[in-house]
Amino acid sequence: MAFEYIGTAFMTALQPFNLLVMFLSTLVGLVMGVLPGLSATMAIALLTGLTYNFPTQTAIISLLAIYVGSISGGCQSAILLNIPGTPASAATALDGHPMAIQGKGGLAIFLATTCSCIGTLLSVVFVMTLTPLLTSLALKFTSWEFFLLSIFGILICGTITAQAEPIKGWISGILGLIVAMVGLDTVDTIARFSYGNVNLMSGIQLIPVMIGLFGFPEIVRVFKRNLDEEITKASKFEVKKGFSLIGKRIGTVIRSACIGVGVGIIPGVGEDTAGWLSYWSTKSLAPKEEKDTFGKGNPHGVIAVETGNNACIGGAIIPVLSLAVPGSAPAAVLLAAFLMHGYRPGPLLMTESPEFLYNVCIYLALASFSMWLIALLLSKATVRILGVNKKYLMPIVYVLCVIGSYLINYNLFDVKVMFVFGLLGVVLTSMKFPPAPFLLGVILGPMLDSNLRRALKLSNGSFAPLFTRPICIFFLILIVFMILAQLGVFKFLKGKRIAD
Amino acid sequence: MKKALSVLLVLALVCTSVFAQGQQESNYPNKNINMTVPYGAGGTTDLTARALANAMGKDLGVTINIVNTAGAGGSAGTLNVQNARVDGYSLLANGMLAFVTMPINGYTDKTFRDWDVWIATYAPNVIVVPKNSPYNTIQDLIEAMRANPGQITAGTAGIGSGGHFGAEIIKQVAGVDYKHITYAGGGPAFTATLSGEVDFCPQLLAEYKDAIISGDVKALCTLSDKPITIAEGITIPSIAEFYPEVAPLLPMGEVTGILLPKGLDEASLQKLDHAFEVAIQDPAFLEFCESRSFEVTPVGRADSQAYLEEFASKVCYILYDAGAAPIDPAQFGIERL
Repeated sequence: MAFEYIGTAFMTALQPFNLLVMFLSTLVGLVMGVLPGLSATMAIALLTGLTYNFPTQTAIISLLAIYVGSISGGCQSAILLNIPGTPASAATALDGHPMAIQGKGGLAIFLATTCSCIGTLLSVVFVMTLTPLLTSLALKFTSWEFFLLSIFGILICGTITAQAEPIKGWISGILGLIVAMVGLDTVDTIARFSYGNVNLMSGIQLIPVMIGLFGFPEIVRVFKRNLDEEITKASKFEVKKGFSLIGKRIGTVIRSACIGVGVGIIPGVGEDTAGWLSYWSTKSLAPKEEKDTFGKGNPHGVIAVETGNNACIGGAIIPVLSLAVPGSAPAAVLLAAFLMHGYRPGPLLMTESPEFLYNVCIYLALASFSMWLIALLLSKATVRILGVNKKYLMPIVYVLCVIGSYLINYNLFDVKVMFVFGLLGVVLTSMKFPPAPFLLGVILGPMLDSNLRRALKLSNGSFAPLFTRPICIFFLILIVFMILAQLGVFKFLKGKRIAD
Repeated sequence: MKKALSVLLVLALVCTSVFAQGQQESNYPNKNINMTVPYGAGGTTDLTARALANAMGKDLGVTINIVNTAGAGGSAGTLNVQNARVDGYSLLANGMLAFVTMPINGYTDKTFRDWDVWIATYAPNVIVVPKNSPYNTIQDLIEAMRANPGQITAGTAGIGSGGHFGAEIIKQVAGVDYKHITYAGGGPAFTATLSGEVDFCPQLLAEYKDAIISGDVKALCTLSDKPITIAEGITIPSIAEFYPEVAPLLPMGEVTGILLPKGLDEASLQKLDHAFEVAIQDPAFLEFCESRSFEVTPVGRADSQAYLEEFASKVCYILYDAGAAPIDPAQFGIERL
């Protein structure tokens, strides 16, 4: 039965018109992903309107292709410009950009794109085989687990991005958390720090913060120093070397894919967190002598992040299909599109339209191949465009920053937000506070705040459940271990033993 | 010479724009219309708006684009439309629960009386409990609430959401308070019910219809005034069957419609009237409503004010009495019925 569905799905997807739509959608997704400010969520939302009157299957192919494309496209601007195209690829810049400076930009893009493709494919395997199991796993996450997961995410992001002084990364993360407190809170619907302004009441939008924080410092940096010849020549893809690098790191790829899928199925955390977690796990499991090369152009880091954030796609689709509850922001828009085209994802999906699961899987798999092809072709152009003298490029980037912020809600207030956070980004970067934990703080802040308060309300103010739930204990141990390690407690103990 | 030419050019431009404006009023609509949904894509309001916009656009001969302006519990998008030029090219699609309670929450001084409204659908609340819950009937739940005042948890999509109103009605029946646990939306509130984090969920039927059919959650009753059959052999009884004293507050649920600040000329409004009439009979729209268990309850522009007077009185006082709205509805001339 399953094979029949798979076969039909292939036949549908390979019809010339559908194939054309798939390629075009991937291209649009990639371009939106490359441009800072046009995010995956926005790309899918825009396309949903456009594809309303398409035949159902064509529309779904188009939407899935644009999802894969936009999540994957972000890596190119992260690598070449050090400005992530989407929040998902913020971690890619960490090693990808240093690689580009070393003249290995082509290799970095090849690795990132190939791993994006592999990550998506692996996640499709999970969707096809483990959907019921993973759904029940997602339901194990209650308020306490969400609370700890968000703390954990911000801590590791801080540790990774500020290697010399993790405390600076944590400070940056906490600043982000504070920014996330602005607006109507989701527990009691009380306006916080809004001063009667309806825009502030809506909260600080994520995308303008990201564009400002990452875009401004880069723009300023280019004009401050003469860096024009920096990445004019990106290397060739070095396909052979790329594949052998990935081949050697197959463990990393599989681990990151598992992490990506795992993060994806948990509602509320998405591609961005998946990238950071994969990076962290890879770095902390790396041999000692390799650890120091992370953040300085280690291809291993690029492989981990891009596999992880793309594997999140499949993960995020699992709860959409089985519970009709999306696992990430882009998946939420995707759910709306499915509903609009007459599918009713949810517990009845497998009895009412069993073919749908297989359709989604096959379309995703094919879309990831088409993404791979088009992304590599496209990168020839992006390398050339992004490689022109930065002094000509950055004014255009600035214009894109403004347009991108405006387009989110068609609201000029968001442009002002972008500007304010841009200036803040310049200050932070010049004082060596990494902007990435700040961004993750803004993303995870509402989750941290509302889940802690909700959990305490449920337990009548007691912290006891933290120590009785298995997943909580797991996270608690990791968090305590990480804080102690960063404070140098272990080194101190070791030193003491040697002294004795 | 050059100067004269440029002056001429500017004049010509001004003339064309004036001319274009003149045309605009006589044959509305002559360009695409924007319909603001003050929530994110994918929610109940958004899906209803898209289905309606598609059908209305066909009748008007233009495309109606959906613009999602989420934020501040739906008031950001609503205020955007309220402050925009009233030319018929910026419409609002909104749920009436949030819309009529905006003034008593202090978000605006204008009330529903300042808008032209077309009401399209009604989506009832349904009380569900996790599948392994000890409560099998609504009486079980009410008794449990009376036995443990303030300890039975209700998971909703937040203060002022459809679920909150549902929970408040249960509170009135029980005569004791519940513990209100709010989530970032209907989806998370539903997953919390599935995982057993909360005791019951009083959100809208559309949000978990399939899970009721598949048996993942148990439906105790609906807050509609009559029983609802969602699938063959699965009928959800109305709460009025067990507690008739609550009947005056029924039906409770989300009512969704299209809105426009007053001030558009009558000829254009009549075109919208016609498009609305056509849209609510559109097969695709009806099919959409059927699949989500929305009742199509069309109330045209002429009758919607009377309908909303009653509706607003009901929901504003529920919210105000629950202490969730700071301003007395009487300040806006909304009387207790």
